[in-house]
Amino acid sequence: MKKILALLLALTMVFALCACGSSSAPAAEAPAAEAPAAEAPAGEKVTVTMIAAQYGPKTGDWWVDFEKKFEAANDGIDLVVDCVSWNDIYTVVNTRIANGQAPDLLNIDVFADYQADGLLLPAEDWCSPETYAKFYPAFLDQSVVDGVCWAVPDLASARAIYYNKDILEQAGVSVPTTLDELVTVCQAIKEKCPDIYPWGIDMTTDEGQAAFAYYTWSYGGGFVDADDNWALNSAENVEAIKFAIGLVNDKLTNSDPANNTRYDLQDLFCAGKLAMMIAPNALSQQAGDAGINYGFAPIPTVAGGSVSAGVMDRIMCFDNGQSAEQMAAITAVVDAFYDDEPYSEWVLMEGFLPATSAGGEACAAADPAMATWIDIVGSAKFYPTAKAEWADVKQGVIDVEQQALLGGDVQELLDALQAEIAG
Amino acid sequence: MKQKKPYTHLNKTEPYLWILPSIILMAIFIIVPIGFVFRMAFSQVTKAGLIKGFCGFNNFAKVLSGAKFGMVLKNTIVWTILVVGLSTVLGFILALILNNEFKGRKIARAIVVFPWATTLVIQASVWKFIINTDYGALNTLLKTLGIIQQNVNWTPTPEAFFAWEIACGIFVTIPFVCFTALSGLQSIDASYYEAATVDGANYWNKLFKITLPLVKPSLTVATVLNIIYVFNSFPIVWTITKGDPASRTDTLVTYLYKLAFYNGKQGEAAAVSVIGFLILLVCASVYMVSTLKKGDE
Amino acid sequence: MAANVRVNWGKLLSRILLYFAVVFICLFILYPYFVMVCTALKSRAEIFAMDGTIFPKVTMWSNFIDIWKKAPMAKYMGNSIIIAAGSTAIAMICGIPAAYALARMKFKGQTAFLGFIIVSQMFAPVVLLIGIYKVMQILGLTNSLLGLIFINAAFNQAFTIWLLRGTFMSISAEMEQAATIDGCNRVQAMFKVLLPVAAPGIVTTLIFIFINAWNEYTVALCLISTETIKPLTVGINIFNGYNMIEWQYLFASSIFAIVPVVILFMSIEKNLASGLTAGGVKG
Repeated sequence: MKKILALLLALTMVFALCACGSSSAPAAEAPAAEAPAAEAPAGEKVTVTMIAAQYGPKTGDWWVDFEKKFEAANDGIDLVVDCVSWNDIYTVVNTRIANGQAPDLLNIDVFADYQADGLLLPAEDWCSPETYAKFYPAFLDQSVVDGVCWAVPDLASARAIYYNKDILEQAGVSVPTTLDELVTVCQAIKEKCPDIYPWGIDMTTDEGQAAFAYYTWSYGGGFVDADDNWALNSAENVEAIKFAIGLVNDKLTNSDPANNTRYDLQDLFCAGKLAMMIAPNALSQQAGDAGINYGFAPIPTVAGGSVSAGVMDRIMCFDNGQSAEQMAAITAVVDAFYDDEPYSEWVLMEGFLPATSAGGEACAAADPAMATWIDIVGSAKFYPTAKAEWADVKQGVIDVEQQALLGGDVQELLDALQAEIAG
Repeated sequence: MKQKKPYTHLNKTEPYLWILPSIILMAIFIIVPIGFVFRMAFSQVTKAGLIKGFCGFNNFAKVLSGAKFGMVLKNTIVWTILVVGLSTVLGFILALILNNEFKGRKIARAIVVFPWATTLVIQASVWKFIINTDYGALNTLLKTLGIIQQNVNWTPTPEAFFAWEIACGIFVTIPFVCFTALSGLQSIDASYYEAATVDGANYWNKLFKITLPLVKPSLTVATVLNIIYVFNSFPIVWTITKGDPASRTDTLVTYLYKLAFYNGKQGEAAAVSVIGFLILLVCASVYMVSTLKKGDE
Repeated sequence: MAANVRVNWGKLLSRILLYFAVVFICLFILYPYFVMVCTALKSRAEIFAMDGTIFPKVTMWSNFIDIWKKAPMAKYMGNSIIIAAGSTAIAMICGIPAAYALARMKFKGQTAFLGFIIVSQMFAPVVLLIGIYKVMQILGLTNSLLGLIFINAAFNQAFTIWLLRGTFMSISAEMEQAATIDGCNRVQAMFKVLLPVAAPGIVTTLIFIFINAWNEYTVALCLISTETIKPLTVGINIFNGYNMIEWQYLFASSIFAIVPVVILFMSIEKNLASGLTAGGVKG
């Protein structure tokens, strides 16, 4: 009995401390808010903090180099860039925000949640008009909420079908231009090369929303309707997901779409074990290095046209009560980053596509294959990341796909999701 | 075996001075953060993680009404029982083996440390790599040995995936149990066994009448701590499946991680962790009360 | 005579079984590490090749050299050692007195304290991140090794206290009493009499904490952002990029991460064995 009491005592202690925790929290926030103001007069240097996403092995070094060059050119500014891998960036950023320690600049994919909480500054406050004018307008539109642009694109990547020319030749088929053709091509490959997976599908927590986008866009559906309202259970979407699941059930795809990430698929493609997959342009380099005789083609639609899917990341600025001096420093960092030369170098380094027209021209001039991609990305469709419910929709469609893979009814699942999101 | 405590003429405050450093350390770095979790569980939290006022049991209601919560809870219980149960049994057997005198014991013991000396993220990555259908080391090994001709899909169903995760969990937990048991085994006085041998006891008699009762106290604590750590284990499931497909392999911790950092529902995530805490608290108190009571007699 | 022979046969058989079991278990445990080494020695293309082999066709020793060029491995490793050693020291400094009080003194709230220790372990570190960050911010310890040292020490208190308490309790108090009669105070008696006898238990505890701190990942990830003070577990993430995971480098660097722990263990294991035979005093 005594021991039970003792444990209860321990539990009450936790609660008591919890109460202390909550009451002391506002007090703790105060010094954090003061900090920037206190810094400016004390040191002559203005500090700009930034969290950047690590796109690949070279990203970290590039930022270190950028920091050095920037600080050498701008005497009064101390730039601190923190490079975080994609696996961990949300954990790191959310922990910092919850503690009032948001960075000045953040390079990540989403922005709507931060904007909804009033944490961001409008792009025009920190992005000089010269830099702002460089972006493709269609890209900027993706970051507009209530008529204000809250973030600027840092890069883009476009998706297309990559195919292994040798395998297709061996199977005596050419790259599909409609979804019906896709099925016949897959069947032909399966017949002629039984050891090879004809088609790659990734429906994992990593990037399952991409599969949803490819197939529903191909069928003329998508995440939203013409009025930009969620339309997840449209007839087109149901057909599209059924089609994709059908490919899996007919054994025309990789063995485990709920667990094979796009990276797994890219590795399979580069090992010659996968004939076709939808992938970003960065695969060109990897496949080339691996000695694969590859080609790429637009994603076919059911009607016979094509659709291109784009993915775009952003740079945004948090409202930390910065002084005018600090704002000027932030603008200087952004201007330096988008300066044509370092910017194209940065984009090409990890095999992405530029988000500025000057960058696009430079890249297209340097590499004819790039020109095709820049055309593709120019007309690409994007995820509706500016909508507040996006995070739930993204997880929701992945869940629908995985349940459907386990035998769930697509119509029912999408109806339930639509009701949950919009209802 | 009642412990006689010396120094009964204690200054009343003295024991508290002895435990004070430890209390301060834990209070600051663990209990205060736990307080934040409780605060979040009862608050409305925005997607970016800002706290916007008290919301009562709203987060709990949302979590408990979630379609997947029951399944995830069941997974967590299966995971905890199987990993802790099997690793305790296997770890104890391994400790019995390693407690023998034999050539190369030092090396064998060092090898047993390996799974423990490896960060869980890496450990889980290796297992994922081994069981991969297309380039996995297990298929390569079996093909080279001529046991199979074609690549085998070792994880055709969510349940199979979960079983592999449990196997991996057991693999990394065994060393901990083994060394706790080993330190218990080594402190058993050899005279007990000698006396029992004189009395004509066989190996199994000795195991159940002498070894087990004497090792039990150290194993009890190890098991309680193990239940807690395994229940809260994150990297294995996260690295191998991320709970896919459709939460079939999620445990509470991976589920709440997704809630917090993928869906931006940190309030609900905190509520899940409070629920997990309450479950652990009940289990641990029942277990501790019953075993400590016996131990005190 | 006949009985004698039978006994020897039984002994021999059990010996053979023992060795067989040990070899089997060791091979089983080593298998993932064998895979790691083989993978670390392959080129990226070979890892995913269709006709995969167990051993690398072309042995890429260069992978093991490349990682030192591609990442500040030595720095990471130094940081990990500082964190693990520092955490172990603090956990022991706070834990030994507490365990001693629990084993040797009777006081009100003893069971409550034991319960408190267990309760402190009941939340996964992943859950506590936000609170931990806040505490660190108040103490000015974000992005510092010292902060991580404290956190790891705190997380390992439960281990430390429970294991040491068990060890202390299994040692008779008579010798300490004798020492106090000879004029030692309690602290002296603990250092001179109890701790040497308890050495095996202390060594086991040391290893436990060291390994746990060495392997900690989640908190370090959130608290440390400067490249030069990252521990190994976080640092090697550099090989886990946006487009691909560099398995060969990840595994090669992981092998380096295991080595110090195994060396530490092997150097301490001797004390563990000899200490135990010397300290088999039971109350």
